[in-house]
Amino acid sequence: MSEGYVVRNLRVCVGDHVIVEDISFTLSPGEIVALAGASGAGKSMSAMTPFGLSAGVASGSARLDGIDMVGLPERELSRIRAEKVGFVFQQPLTALTPHRTVGQHLHEAATQAGGAKPTTDVMVAMLDAVGLSRPEERLAQYPHRLSGGERQRVLIAAALAHGPRYLVADEPVSALDAALRGEIMALLVRLCRERGMAMLLVSHDLAGIEHHADRLLLLDSGKVAESGSAKQIASSPATDYGRRLMAATPRLSEPLSPLPETGEVLLEVEGAHVHFPKPGWRRGRLDAVLDASLTLAKGETLALVGGSGSGKSTLGRAIAGLGPMASGTVRWQGELLPPRQRRSAEHRGLIQPVFQDPLASLDPRWTIADIIGEPLRWLAPDAERHRPAQDLLEEVGLPRDFASRKPASLSGGQAQRVAIARALSANPEMLLLDEATSALDPLVADGVVSLFGRLQRERGLSMLFITHDLALARRTAHRIAVMEAGRIVECGSREELFANPQAEATKRLIAASG
Amino acid sequence: MGRLIARRLLTAIPTLLAIIVLSFVLMRVAPGGPFDGERPLAPEVRAALEAAYGLDKSLPEQVWLYLTRLAQGDFGPSMVYRDFTVSGLIAEALPVSLLIGGCALLLASVLGISAGLWAALRAGKWQDEVLMLGATLLTALPTFVTGPLLALIFGLWLGWLPVSGQNDGGSWLVLPGVALGLPVTGAVAKLARAGLAGELGADHIRAARARGIAPLTILRRHALRPALVPVASYLGPAAAALLTGAVVIETVFGLPGLGRYFVQGALNRDYPLVLGVVTLYAGLIILFNLFADLIYGWLDPRMREG
Repeated sequence: MSEGYVVRNLRVCVGDHVIVEDISFTLSPGEIVALAGASGAGKSMSAMTPFGLSAGVASGSARLDGIDMVGLPERELSRIRAEKVGFVFQQPLTALTPHRTVGQHLHEAATQAGGAKPTTDVMVAMLDAVGLSRPEERLAQYPHRLSGGERQRVLIAAALAHGPRYLVADEPVSALDAALRGEIMALLVRLCRERGMAMLLVSHDLAGIEHHADRLLLLDSGKVAESGSAKQIASSPATDYGRRLMAATPRLSEPLSPLPETGEVLLEVEGAHVHFPKPGWRRGRLDAVLDASLTLAKGETLALVGGSGSGKSTLGRAIAGLGPMASGTVRWQGELLPPRQRRSAEHRGLIQPVFQDPLASLDPRWTIADIIGEPLRWLAPDAERHRPAQDLLEEVGLPRDFASRKPASLSGGQAQRVAIARALSANPEMLLLDEATSALDPLVADGVVSLFGRLQRERGLSMLFITHDLALARRTAHRIAVMEAGRIVECGSREELFANPQAEATKRLIAASG
Repeated sequence: MGRLIARRLLTAIPTLLAIIVLSFVLMRVAPGGPFDGERPLAPEVRAALEAAYGLDKSLPEQVWLYLTRLAQGDFGPSMVYRDFTVSGLIAEALPVSLLIGGCALLLASVLGISAGLWAALRAGKWQDEVLMLGATLLTALPTFVTGPLLALIFGLWLGWLPVSGQNDGGSWLVLPGVALGLPVTGAVAKLARAGLAGELGADHIRAARARGIAPLTILRRHALRPALVPVASYLGPAAAALLTGAVVIETVFGLPGLGRYFVQGALNRDYPLVLGVVTLYAGLIILFNLFADLIYGWLDPRMREG
């Protein structure tokens, strides 16, 4: 019996659509093979369909230890999964059954292939091995008590509980906080190496996997665009697609590209505090932003970087007048900007937001022209609104005839460009970009980032760039402010910050992104 | 758990008070009174009656009087059924309503949930379509249609079951119970189906499938409890409504339940009777919502907090 997982000429269809065409690869025992590529390239489909865990139908062959899984009935596939493979999914928040405790999950996982019932000590050891703190307490906890990172550790422990030879990890870290991604990925790789497991890794984040995988397959529209050793593809991709993917992925090691000159200071924020009442009956408040001060010059990009919950979005919203601010001042060219409701239309026009989820921020019933024209609604009569909308579409790199379409017909990247055009139609001096590229595919995100660069050069826009991605901040921002637990712990030019990081939070972020 | 119950019972007191006071005032604002008949009463008789029932006092005084009596468990005398207390009327009628409602509830939960789950497991197939069509029909058919229809078929044509009144065995319960329960059964079936069908596509089910767990075990262990949350939230208030009497069913099957007092009390402006029934109904609603919340907590531990 030949060991390993051998996929030959795999083809996956969903209904009449061919999602994956003619993919072949081999996963030898103990090896880590990564499937990477833009979204919609068929990565997850190729990984999951042979195991019967997707809506697709596979043809070709996929031999696991000599047994061809293509065409096997669900009963047999189920047995193969239970005995030989562990799975880790993208969504740790929802992949655990809400009414079952951590211990019950581990118990089920350990006995799935008919193994012995695990004792408490064994289960504690499992949690310990995935680096979960206080493992004894965790066994009796329900999943909603755990954070995303903790849940992913539990899922990894469950995936390993029956001692599988193979691990299939579908975007195992992309739903996690930036600071955690590197850590969890390293944990997965270490466990594979220690236990001699082979891992099939699906990820869109090339920077996150290129050091870990032995071999890499770049998928493009359901086909293999390039494959080979991960090191070689990362350093010198052979195909145009590979080169574009590599260039689109920001890295801390890349040389700094020049940014446009900046002018005089426009925005000054001093001592901003934001707090929310604590939910529930008990009184108390949750300090989201504490004593935050920053400045932004004309044509400058300031990146606000931090983990989730660090207060970066809350601060951004307070500055733009979209969220509450308990105390502190926001000045624009020396003039005091009142807090949210009392801000005049002109003041609101100065700072325009672009949000993370482009489709959620566009009204699905409106045409693109109406969406873009909304800020102009009472500045210009109806007939005149159409032309600026089309000009703006052109400025953000979309065809003029998009004006009559509705948001549902747009891709994520196109929708984000429409959201940018809407922000521009108010003729702002500054854009608030709240994770504006993090929901997008790497290639698309890179296009949107270059659009921001062009807009900054052409319009002299100032930008507050909120992101969790330090490498992206380094690529796009003149200065970087690092936030942790509601405070700005460090702020400096991108050169200084990386040459000589001061705050612990900065050092941790740099280490996690490296 | 204990704290949740205590807190909910404490917040129930102001809710109940508000309901009672509001019903009291609304009823007085409505034109007419308990002693308005075809033939007007002599003014002296009317004044004597009003004094006897305390109707000559100011409205706040009356409310206060009613509440102090209620606190001692006294719903007061009926103003229309002379010589009967409201407590007496309710004590006589409530068991009948509880029995019919209980039957209906049992039918709705057992048949409704099993039909819904069965349909969800065959989602998209013809069995599912047929069952859901049936469930929609059941919810759409009013009890004044199904009640007489069932009586006609099983009582008059087939002669299997009694169609009117009570008898010594339990057979008198079947037709009214079924007629009352059918619309709720349909609604429960639809909710259970939607709940489970949605749950079966959830990430944690895929994760369990990835572990190679047997389909039936996945259903029992991972899918069932979250799938029943919408059913629980619907059945709580529905149970209160079923148990406190259904005037249509009681009329069709000639049963002395609570429902008719609700209607007749309101028509006759029998203030204490209506208030008594409203208070009972409100109390049951609050109680069953608490039950529903406790069941939620069991179904989904996330609901145990806050």
